[in-house]
Amino acid sequence: MAHAFDNRTQLSPPGKEVRHQTLKQMFEKRDRLTQQTGHYCGVSELTLRAADPIKYERFYNKLHAAVLAARESARFVAASPGSREMGESLWGLATPEGDTLAVSLGFLSHTAIFPVSVRYMAEKEYDVNDGIEDGDVYAVSDGLTGGVPHPGDFYTFVAICYEGEIVGWAVGINHLMENGAPVAGSWATFSVDTFMDGLVCPPMRTGRKLKQESWWKAIWQRRTRAATMNILDDKMRLAGCAMVHDATHKLIKEFGLDYYKRATREVIEESRRMIVDNMHALMVPGTYNGCAFRLVKYKGLQQIWSHADKNTLLHIRASVEPNDKGLLVDTEGSSRWGYHSYNATPGGADAALFLGMMNSFAHNTKVTAGIELAVQRHYPSGSLYNPDYEFTSNANLWAQTVSLNSIGFNAVSRAMFSRGYLEEAFTVDGNWGAWQGSGQTDEGVSYGFTNFEWLGGTGRGAWCYKDGEPIVWAAWSQLATCGDAEEFESCVPPLFYLGRKLLPGYFGHGKYRGGPGNSAVHWCVKPGKHIAVTRPNGGLSCTTSVGLGMSGAYPGPGSFMISARGTNLPALIETGETPRDARELLELIDAGKLEVENLEIWKTDCPELALKDNDLFVDAAGSSGGWGDPLDRDPALVINDLNDGMAPRYEFTANLYGIVATVDAADVWTLDAGATAARRAAMRQARIGDSQTAQAWWASERTRVLARDFIPEVREMYEQSMSFGKFDNEFRKFWQVPAAFNFPKE
Amino acid sequence: MNEDVSISPELIGQLIDGTIDSDNAQRLLRLERKDKGRFFQYIDALQQRVAWPEKILLRLGDKLYIVASAPGKRVVKCACGHEFGDYRQNWKLGCKIRVKRTLDDMLTVYDPAPACPEPDIQEIREFFCPVCASQHAVEVVAPGYPVVFEMLPDLDKFYREYLGRPLPDEGSDWYQDRTDLVTREWAKAG
Repeated sequence: MAHAFDNRTQLSPPGKEVRHQTLKQMFEKRDRLTQQTGHYCGVSELTLRAADPIKYERFYNKLHAAVLAARESARFVAASPGSREMGESLWGLATPEGDTLAVSLGFLSHTAIFPVSVRYMAEKEYDVNDGIEDGDVYAVSDGLTGGVPHPGDFYTFVAICYEGEIVGWAVGINHLMENGAPVAGSWATFSVDTFMDGLVCPPMRTGRKLKQESWWKAIWQRRTRAATMNILDDKMRLAGCAMVHDATHKLIKEFGLDYYKRATREVIEESRRMIVDNMHALMVPGTYNGCAFRLVKYKGLQQIWSHADKNTLLHIRASVEPNDKGLLVDTEGSSRWGYHSYNATPGGADAALFLGMMNSFAHNTKVTAGIELAVQRHYPSGSLYNPDYEFTSNANLWAQTVSLNSIGFNAVSRAMFSRGYLEEAFTVDGNWGAWQGSGQTDEGVSYGFTNFEWLGGTGRGAWCYKDGEPIVWAAWSQLATCGDAEEFESCVPPLFYLGRKLLPGYFGHGKYRGGPGNSAVHWCVKPGKHIAVTRPNGGLSCTTSVGLGMSGAYPGPGSFMISARGTNLPALIETGETPRDARELLELIDAGKLEVENLEIWKTDCPELALKDNDLFVDAAGSSGGWGDPLDRDPALVINDLNDGMAPRYEFTANLYGIVATVDAADVWTLDAGATAARRAAMRQARIGDSQTAQAWWASERTRVLARDFIPEVREMYEQSMSFGKFDNEFRKFWQVPAAFNFPKE
Repeated sequence: MNEDVSISPELIGQLIDGTIDSDNAQRLLRLERKDKGRFFQYIDALQQRVAWPEKILLRLGDKLYIVASAPGKRVVKCACGHEFGDYRQNWKLGCKIRVKRTLDDMLTVYDPAPACPEPDIQEIREFFCPVCASQHAVEVVAPGYPVVFEMLPDLDKFYREYLGRPLPDEGSDWYQDRTDLVTREWAKAG
């Protein structure tokens, strides 16, 4: 049992009077030395690496092997399907201050929160009262104190102490199947503050000696709807952490504590240097701007939460500026926080932003906290990324932070394109979708669930030299897989897949088109006493995933969902003509074959949809953007898309790409090259005729701006973004509005 | 480390032209460190592909370049030869602009219909070269949104510190956003 010390030294084993620095003292030293020297913890020379590089690399490889092995073993000890089969998990080893030393495969940028959690524990003196001991287990899922992106991402920290001194942390993370919020699932849509986000844990000790306390199991059973899955995942995280804990102790015994302490500092400094060097080698200095938008549709909540009863158009704005220390990402101009679930915290914003940065700049070095030292971030106080209200909800932050990542990632793509590294230049959208909910069987068994399928594998945006690929991409993990349909069906007994496939035409168009997104048709059979679903998304289709296309192409469309309740599906089953994706569903309805009593198309968050026998819900997500002018697309590629079924409607495709083709009796399309050339020439001419000079457009738009002639959501967006000086200045200079002009609060 | 690797001009040409095969693209993607000489090889290959003599300083888009048009002049130039003006001013303001505001208009570029952005919340802006009508950019943004200056490079720093070949007309005022000079003139013109 630990004891508190008045003199604020850390607990030492009985009979040993060694006194160690407190966590707070460690942070103070780390911060001071790093700031003063520009090198991590003042490590200006990699002395261990220089003296014996083989030993140094052997040391690191053992660290790395420990976290890799943790994932590959622990997910087979016990795990929910999302963790076992997909990329929605991770293990890491960190310094006493939470700085990452090594990570397993998985959603790697989740390491960003490690130092946030540990810093909170240090500031609150967890190690002083009532002490941190070897093998202590902590649970973390809070955005503000733990830095956690959203409470659906759950973290287990295990303290690694050696002779009474904290020398590191083993950390395991996975995305829960359900986390006990009013809206069932793992992204609590419609939350208005943190009290509606489900199981939110600031760093809290839940176990000792690598074993959870008995009460902890009761939390999963009483505070979430998927206790079985969540307890399996809890065991999984801890099992992996125990492996890392054990491996670290062995490593210290083998190499000695002094070597361990010095080498772990050198590892991070080494990777920081490499990342900065990579930025210098791959980027063009300057300023890169990007933007995105999201509509939060909460109007209608006035009966219960009057202060949240409004729609909000979120503005995501960021610039990227390479500099001598790495690069700066400035989010000034983004919207203020609100009473909705789309807010982030600085830790959560980091977890998103670092996705592209790690992928781009840590590919040839050790993946450590070096990325955090090289990427400087500005999240203004009061903004969506740094709320000045301590109780904001962040349950569905990924719906917008994914576009923050895309803006940064696309800046890197633009730079690589300009530098000639074309093989690396591609469009990043990051559109994803998932579905979630809860139900109760006829036998009275209650369950909650999340289906990660369109989070696991999405289309990759077009490259600057070829089309994007389907399903192979997930910006947040190296392990792109949409999971096993059978596994997901087993987790949600009444829902069966009628179809699960790529959705033709569902991408951003361009000289090279994006990889198509995916669509599934879920069929409700024998729903038991109750089943209802909702759907969180990385961008719903009332806005595009990002605001800027690449080099004249269109950005990828957002995700959407269709609910078709009260259908004549049994009649269609008789004929064998059932829908396999969203397009087929709509076509069968248009043809009068599929009859639907209640058809709804959801381009924003949908409320809980209760399902009955033969109800359908159909989703689509994971689309991606194009690259280049569509009129520059090789006509042969357009014909291929028509013949492969990737471009389903000739009229749409021909009008967009300016081709002329004929189809034979076998539905094979053939290009008419001469007519195509003539049509493209005419379309180019029409572009000139149909468009305005920028000056004429500006003059008419400015009149509209001065009249504030926009819907309330747009006006409020400008009011919020112009409350930050950088965007206010940009807006005023661009539209040349009088000093007194503003968008008043409404 | 493979810092001394060099890539053949043919391969760079294939990347530019979109004819590279996937094996070679994969080989390039898997380089641990990129070939340091790529930029000037790339510029040479681009220069061979345009019909005008001005020296390319940087490629901004598929058919868009910053060029040294005369001593002390750096302008944005289309592959067709049209010049958009000083690169410190957002070249989009030299474009012709077509805006899709209605659902019917948006449905000409997004399909199926539920995937289409929502009018009033978003508009689709297409930016064309006023001479050859190439579509150089697309913005899908809220109405009233300032046109986005996608990339303002610091060319002097790039050439001196990143490439080690300083430009002959270095100066302290090259890395500045001067877009507001354009809009200021437009405001005066009423």
